[in-house]
Amino acid sequence: MLDLSWVMVGPVSGRYLADLGADVVKIESARRIDPLRTLGPFKDGRVGRERSVSYHNLNAGKRSLAINIRNPRGREIILRLAEWADVVLESFTPGVLDDMGLAYADISKRNARVIMVSTSILGQTGPHAVGASGVGTMGAAMSGATFQLGWPDRPPVGPWGPWTDAVAPRFIVASILAALHRRRRTGEGCYIDVAQAEAGIQFMTPSLYEYAANGIVPQRRGADIAPTRVPCGVYPCAGDDKWIAIDASDAKRFEALRNLIGGDTHDRAFDTLIGRIRARERLDNAIADWTRTRIAEEVERQLQEAGVAAHTVSRAGDLARDAHVLATNHLRRINDPVIGEADIEGPRFALARTPHAEIRRGPRIGEHNNQVLRELCGMSDAEIAQLADGGVLETNTG
Amino acid sequence: MLDDIRVLEISAPDTMMAGRILADLGADVIVVEPPAGSPGRRLEPFLADIPGLERSLTWHALNRNKRAITLDINSPDGREIIGSLAAKFDIVLETKENALPDSIDLGSRVIRCTVAPFAKTGPKSDYAASDFIVMASSGAPSMTGDPDRPPLFFAVPQAMMEAGSEAAIAVLSALAARDRDGAGQAVEVSARLAAMMLSFGQPIVLGSGNREIPRAAVRNTIAGVDIPSAWECADGFVLITIAFGPAFGPMTQRLVKWAADEGHVPVRLAETNWVLTPGDPAGGASPDDLRTTVNGLRALCLTKKKTEVAEAARRLGILASAIFDMRDVAESPQYRGRGLWTPVEIAPGKTIDAPARFAQFSNYSIETRRPAPKLSEHTATILGDELGLSASEIQALFVHGII
Repeated sequence: MLDLSWVMVGPVSGRYLADLGADVVKIESARRIDPLRTLGPFKDGRVGRERSVSYHNLNAGKRSLAINIRNPRGREIILRLAEWADVVLESFTPGVLDDMGLAYADISKRNARVIMVSTSILGQTGPHAVGASGVGTMGAAMSGATFQLGWPDRPPVGPWGPWTDAVAPRFIVASILAALHRRRRTGEGCYIDVAQAEAGIQFMTPSLYEYAANGIVPQRRGADIAPTRVPCGVYPCAGDDKWIAIDASDAKRFEALRNLIGGDTHDRAFDTLIGRIRARERLDNAIADWTRTRIAEEVERQLQEAGVAAHTVSRAGDLARDAHVLATNHLRRINDPVIGEADIEGPRFALARTPHAEIRRGPRIGEHNNQVLRELCGMSDAEIAQLADGGVLETNTG
Repeated sequence: MLDDIRVLEISAPDTMMAGRILADLGADVIVVEPPAGSPGRRLEPFLADIPGLERSLTWHALNRNKRAITLDINSPDGREIIGSLAAKFDIVLETKENALPDSIDLGSRVIRCTVAPFAKTGPKSDYAASDFIVMASSGAPSMTGDPDRPPLFFAVPQAMMEAGSEAAIAVLSALAARDRDGAGQAVEVSARLAAMMLSFGQPIVLGSGNREIPRAAVRNTIAGVDIPSAWECADGFVLITIAFGPAFGPMTQRLVKWAADEGHVPVRLAETNWVLTPGDPAGGASPDDLRTTVNGLRALCLTKKKTEVAEAARRLGILASAIFDMRDVAESPQYRGRGLWTPVEIAPGKTIDAPARFAQFSNYSIETRRPAPKLSEHTATILGDELGLSASEIQALFVHGII
């Protein structure tokens, strides 16, 4: 895979393929570094272009070639790598690759079987596409997601982080794998265009249908997100900003809950679902009175032992210590020459017979320049040296 | 693209998105529901706010392009039928809670994917769970919302979207292996790990030698100045990102120039360097400059409509967009012009536009070939065609409540 993308959507997509064993060559620049290298968490909180653990997390197992692709000789290297690649992935602002002569039309001339994916905030076509660059918070805003998360008396807050950066890779990777399957049967390659905002709409389709079918524009509802399920919500626990999520709306789970916490929850008004819906606030207060003084993890343990669906609203520290996360070996230790040891994430699914590749660290900028040019482009050391002298190859100066 | 692939989906909320992605990519997907209907048929919202097994809009959204049978897979007949049926498929999708009986032999080519809220075995595998509980465990809500109020969750269940889309990737990965060597395998997807994708760097904060950061507030403060992310405008809200550095700073520079051109910040500020982070000793804007700019932008936004801000952002290269509600999404000329939508009839005489084309291909097009299936719509056909059951045998299964 030739990975021309940066920041998150493209790199996450490429990471899936690297984990499946693909040889992913990431093109970057030492002069205009991947913005992900400027985003934390940084190892031990110390900022540096080779210190972003997020970069490792999304680029684990890839090789890095740092070249100036605007230079004609740099462009020729990209085209040679495109001949080698099964998949080419890019996330430039629409129009930029056309200007560089590296669009699908140019790439497919050199490799008719290639599967090339372009991903951008609004896609390659449509009246607002060309020139539209954006980040995942904007994708969330334009997919209708941001508007629906927040309190009615305040502006929308939206989902945390650049939401569509986590959503779009699913549609990109599924599309690539389906296209590879077809290519194995028919030999056909293709061009794939994924708009990140449209990927976000997929996860929000039920509320889009609510508008399209019922004419209702879903509004932000604060914590009132489950009007048909009571009790179902988050309740405060001891400590700073610690919460427990409880979903005990079905009859059996509610009986288990009230038997555990007692007190006002035994009020006969709560015996029925309709009773609980009508007295929701009173019931929520009774539950909160019980949780408020208790440790979230302990509440989770007690409720689960009683058969009530509950979980701590996990924070960073909770995730790092979580029994399930640890037992599934989700956090993998890498050892990097610059930052030393750090944890990154492993895959989110398991294949019983053909396990994922061992999780490796991400590359340093241009770490594999010589290797890639020699192995994949068939260049001699003299040719490589020429490229370096000509400023086509970039080396890490940071 | 997957027109040679057949998928049997033991329907549950967590399988629905997986089956739909595969169906959209061309696979023949058949969902198996209990005679009382899949739990997915009881998910809100409902058509015209009237509940009913054919009225769940969530079901409609996530089951387009599939066919459906009903079968009590826990009855002796049901076990036998599902076993013979599943062996004829390439991919079986199921959940831990609603799985095929373990005794079933699917043969060596079938890819069997099980989605569990946490895991099939080990810590928390026995947890009582729901979509909401899985989301709570993902790390994302703990960072979402105002710190003086509880964490926020979407009303639209999201763990099922995360788990389902991850499962689509998982089975297609196993399919790649099978294309090489002919053998299927067992695949396990954790809804919780899939949903953790939404928490971005949170899972690796501690393991990289850092401390937790508190929710929201601090993140939007630069050089002591509070910067909103959602800005109120004349008819709603817009998102404006103010960021610095070589990648994003130039857009902030253009944003300040726009505010100056519109007369809402002093012209001097348009000429200040906004690539450097305010307060940077190397020069650039001061914290006071930033405060003045934020206040000016606030006033400017109030004079503009969502579409006007979005238009200015496109024209000038500013990192800003409208915060769309679902009407805006439906009416956006961009999505429409691009061909996102395909019509789908969700009830007799009721056709709506579905955002079907999550990807556009040079030589394939995602189409809505059929609406979500009605309960048991294809039971008789499939039991007859696939397994050769006679009409009277099929009636017997119905009489005894097995289908």
